[in-house]
Amino acid sequence: MLPFFADLVVRTDETRREFETNPVVLDAVARGMSVERYRKLLLELYHVVWHFNPVCAAAASRMPDSHRQIRYFLYDHMQEESGHEEWVMNDLGAVGVTPDVARAYQPSVQMLALNGYNYWAADRRHPCTALGMMYALEVIASVYGGPFTAAIKESLLLEEERGISFISSHATMDAEHMAELRVVLNTVHDDEARDAVTESAIVNFHHFTRVFEAV
Amino acid sequence: MKQDRPAAAPRWLARPYKYIRLDWDPEFSLLRSRTCVKPIQCYSLAALSELNQVFHDVSSNPGEVKHYVMTSDVTGVFNFGGDLSLFVLLIRARDVESLKLYGRRCVDLVWWLETASQRGLHTTVLVQGDTLGGGLECVMPFHKVIFERSAQAGFPEVLFNLFPGMGGWNFTIRKAGFAVANEMILSGRLYTADQLYRRSLVDLVVEDGEGEAAIDQVVRAVHPRLRGTLAALQARRFASPVTYESLLAIVDQWTETAMRLTDRDLRLMERLARAQVRKAGGADEGAVEEIKRMELDTAWGELRSGDTAWGEERTGITEWGGLNH
Repeated sequence: MLPFFADLVVRTDETRREFETNPVVLDAVARGMSVERYRKLLLELYHVVWHFNPVCAAAASRMPDSHRQIRYFLYDHMQEESGHEEWVMNDLGAVGVTPDVARAYQPSVQMLALNGYNYWAADRRHPCTALGMMYALEVIASVYGGPFTAAIKESLLLEEERGISFISSHATMDAEHMAELRVVLNTVHDDEARDAVTESAIVNFHHFTRVFEAV
Repeated sequence: MKQDRPAAAPRWLARPYKYIRLDWDPEFSLLRSRTCVKPIQCYSLAALSELNQVFHDVSSNPGEVKHYVMTSDVTGVFNFGGDLSLFVLLIRARDVESLKLYGRRCVDLVWWLETASQRGLHTTVLVQGDTLGGGLECVMPFHKVIFERSAQAGFPEVLFNLFPGMGGWNFTIRKAGFAVANEMILSGRLYTADQLYRRSLVDLVVEDGEGEAAIDQVVRAVHPRLRGTLAALQARRFASPVTYESLLAIVDQWTETAMRLTDRDLRLMERLARAQVRKAGGADEGAVEEIKRMELDTAWGELRSGDTAWGEERTGITEWGGLNH
């Protein structure tokens, strides 16, 4: 039997590649994007980050004792991610968006669908779905974050980490997170939880692609 | 020329594929696969699964297919080789098992091609565009390798501190000898079709647009003496064996090496992956141009002379003027 992380990579390979295939994503990774679109992307990302810990908390609170190692993993991860919404705020500031404007921003329906699914899944589907959300977001950050920030830096002529600190630092940091996530995913042995994680990763890739398209 | 009754198309040909188009020529019992992997023409897990499914169907129905031909449906690209973004993902996740699994699936692919003569199959490949790393490794076990003149190929892995791990050493040594294998794998440089022909890695170089006619010519020439040809090719395997065990040992070492890649190496790999994506997005320049830049960055002094051990012009030299823009 394959370790679950390997199984998850195989089962979500096509969806991951559909994210890559999307013409808007291809164009952004190849050529960056206009400052207006980048502002909008950061405004949307703010809502991913802002809701990430509450989703994890909801999942942790519903986690059965049989998966206690995942509950502890979620605690640690929440600690790690706490306050990262401020990094997005700083990047928004660097590209000319004030905190008031950022906080007043109404997220797109695509973003509402992404966050809505993650809350629902943690609450009603299976608490391990939070791991599927993490897998999708960390793959996007650690694999595509690097090339994307390089393209943004070039296209908007940004200096050093100004305006890209959130995505850039997650591209590096999430590599570490990915290694930790692999270890915890390999402790998931029951089919119900494995199927829920896989479904969640697929849905997150799907919605994130739609968010990217809408920007 | 025609000796047998035209063979009906195998039923398994109707299986739906996303990244492969299959054609059947009843006259020669010829199966033709045209690959078109999205978004990047490379050996993704999904593409590997589809190819392995085709090969499994062929093996499960012995005698049905007598010729197997592979081409690419992507203009200007035969195959970019390994799925670089998947490599980055697995290496960053320090997932040795999955990377090994990927490598072994690639080995299974080249091993099937290597042992095709035992299954009563003659194999031909037509390369009409760039083929890199794993793309070239997959080409070499074919019985007949045809390149159109503008096609380029090479093993760029050393540029990001890796090496071709899925048969590159074995098949290059067998076809062209140790010296050529050393030169190609350790330099990371790209070669034109003519340069590969001179090194015996390519059997036939034809002008652009004449590849299809060359396939036809090869199949028509082999078909009447198919049994003898296949017997000879099997005997060739005894004379110069490539073993499954050695392929597996190398791919395991490849996995261990990949796990030791540094951030800088991974960034170079990402740079190449980004260039592949750029080409898939419709840009004129892609991975080949990026490799030339990487060669330039890492070995400018050596390359400036333009000389190689074979007294040939470097493949990238003619393109380097573009880098000044």
